[in-house]
Amino acid sequence: MLAGQNFNGTNRHLREDSDTDDEVLASTLVEEALRDDGDYDDLESAGGSLQISGENIQQRLAAAATPLDFQAPLQNRFDSYDNYCTLFHFILNSDGPVDLELPTYYWAWDVIDEFIYQFNSFCSHRNAVARKEGGGSEEERRLLCDHPQTWGCYSVLNVLYSLIQRSQMNEQLAAIKKGQDPNEVAGEYGSRPLYRMLGYFSIIGLLRVHCLLGDFTLALKTLDDIELNKKAVFARVMAAHFTTYYYVGVSYMMMRRYADAIKAFSHILVYVSRTKNFQKNAQFDSVTKKNDQMYALIAICVALCPTRLDDTIHASLREKYGEQFTKMQRGGPDALQIYEQLFMSACPKFISPIPPDFDKPENNVDPSQHHLRVFMADVRNSMLAPTLKSYLKLYTTMDLKKLAAFIEVDPEVLRTQLLVYKQRSRQTRWIEGGLLEGETINTSDLDFALQGDLIHISEAKVGRRLVDWYLRNLAKTY
Amino acid sequence: MTFDTSTRPEHIQGILSSLDRYNPETVTIFQDYVQQQCENRTYDSLANLALLKLYQFNPHLTRDETITNILVKALTVFPSADFGLCLHLLPANALTEPPIDPFAEAVLKLFSLSRLLEACEYREFWMTLESDDLYADLITDCAGFEELIRLRIASTTAQSNREINRELLEGWLNLTADGFESFIKGSCGWAIEGDVVKIPLNKENEAKTTVTRENVKFDQFQRVIKRAYEQPA
Repeated sequence: MLAGQNFNGTNRHLREDSDTDDEVLASTLVEEALRDDGDYDDLESAGGSLQISGENIQQRLAAAATPLDFQAPLQNRFDSYDNYCTLFHFILNSDGPVDLELPTYYWAWDVIDEFIYQFNSFCSHRNAVARKEGGGSEEERRLLCDHPQTWGCYSVLNVLYSLIQRSQMNEQLAAIKKGQDPNEVAGEYGSRPLYRMLGYFSIIGLLRVHCLLGDFTLALKTLDDIELNKKAVFARVMAAHFTTYYYVGVSYMMMRRYADAIKAFSHILVYVSRTKNFQKNAQFDSVTKKNDQMYALIAICVALCPTRLDDTIHASLREKYGEQFTKMQRGGPDALQIYEQLFMSACPKFISPIPPDFDKPENNVDPSQHHLRVFMADVRNSMLAPTLKSYLKLYTTMDLKKLAAFIEVDPEVLRTQLLVYKQRSRQTRWIEGGLLEGETINTSDLDFALQGDLIHISEAKVGRRLVDWYLRNLAKTY
Repeated sequence: MTFDTSTRPEHIQGILSSLDRYNPETVTIFQDYVQQQCENRTYDSLANLALLKLYQFNPHLTRDETITNILVKALTVFPSADFGLCLHLLPANALTEPPIDPFAEAVLKLFSLSRLLEACEYREFWMTLESDDLYADLITDCAGFEELIRLRIASTTAQSNREINRELLEGWLNLTADGFESFIKGSCGWAIEGDVVKIPLNKENEAKTTVTRENVKFDQFQRVIKRAYEQPA
């Protein structure tokens, strides 16, 4: 149980912060160690009698759900991988379903979450070592080179798909959707909580893995059978709820469906801001960092696709990223750097599915840089949009040449920019059905048409909202 | 994103909806399907993305020519995000400058074409396309590439314009004289009057001012009315 011992005394959200200073870490370690002890006691009392071939399965279960130290040496990462393999092999390939009680109701989420997190950080680390940036030693390079199969992409996907299939999860969800009893299709495995929960969260896990690999279409397609609403099963586990929306939002953003991305981010940010007072536990701590990342992403999306946000979200956004947000909204070449910074700090650490080329360090590129490059192509295309919009808003008809003189660009440049503006304002937006579905809509409140060199401008106005005001005053006078 | 699945054969649908989409043995089937799309002017983004994913997982199976064909096909559906979605699945070093190998060079060239199209710089697009023989090699497998691109340019033009100068549009479409007139009248159904091309009104180029009115539901007044009843007269 090498892995199990090394897991002690680490804290999830601190671990993600590589630059956390040691002092804070040390004091948290103490608290964490105390908390961990408690957890272990619970586990033992929950199923102390379970022994497989002389090994203590409960310890394995606990280890699988416990975060690995951010700076854990490579050997621990290898051991941890082996530990997962044995555990999942036991769960999936024993004779018949394994009879296990779930240690806690969110255990299944923790296992899948930690499994993917370790996969993610292993791949990032391996890539950094190959690029000779992570400061990896020669020994580390050799070790990674010799074990290309460890934390392999196929095996991670294999685990997730097998868990989904064993539990007949897609069939169960389809039955729920149709209003039928899921237990009828659940089968021998799927009717047990262990398999049901693992299967369910594996779907969320797939969403995440596909997104990390840059396959945003497949990521969203994975959720075809899950209905995104507050009643969904994942909504019962805060971290799962949160993670799901983060990756759904990122995927939409990368597909340039900014309106949908904004909707996903604001849904969960509103939810968090309303419930934060009730959620003062460790699970919630892990959410804090991702929360800030989502504000950064929503800032990017709103700058690219101006949208009115919920008031609380808007206020927090101003508080956290006010300056950057204003710069991005203003557009122009200065804003590009801000987009890049926020993207790199807020997006997941993208990974490549195959081991890097250790012999040619110069051939390895950080996958995040690659995705950034593709993303920025779209951002660059919209840099003049804010200026254009501010001028167009003032007129109902305008001569192209005159406007070009105002903005100080060539009239033909302006013409193409108008075309770009129009093209970018037409986005696919989800209405109903699978997450990939949607209809083309106009996301801008400003529209125009060119008649030769004459620009006709129109606005989609929102009428005054009187009912609220009326009701409030009525309540006062009563 | 284009999800027209009407032309998707059953065996492809079968692979896409099962775990066979990860099976390296299906690579050749998908490759043939890409070839077929190139020849028949059809397009199936989900199948093409699945093939790119197989290449991503099994780099030794990669066929550069098929990847560039997929990218060229994705260009023909601009301004959808498809081209970018394909790029996301390529090896991370495919976009480094300067390019590390001929394949990366080809990808970068196509990327620059895609950026020109997305920036609506159509005249520059055609000029770039004709500036280097490498482009001709890249698009040669894709039947009717220029025609497909023209149709897309025409549709973005119709989004923003009601009337447009003929010479300007000729540059955008890279067509002149008879070729231009037959395309405008035949494929687009627009009218040419002197040196102005008239585009009929459509949903996108009307630019009508709309006012969204508040939608008042009776439920909102529920409490007020209830109060009125409860209040002693």
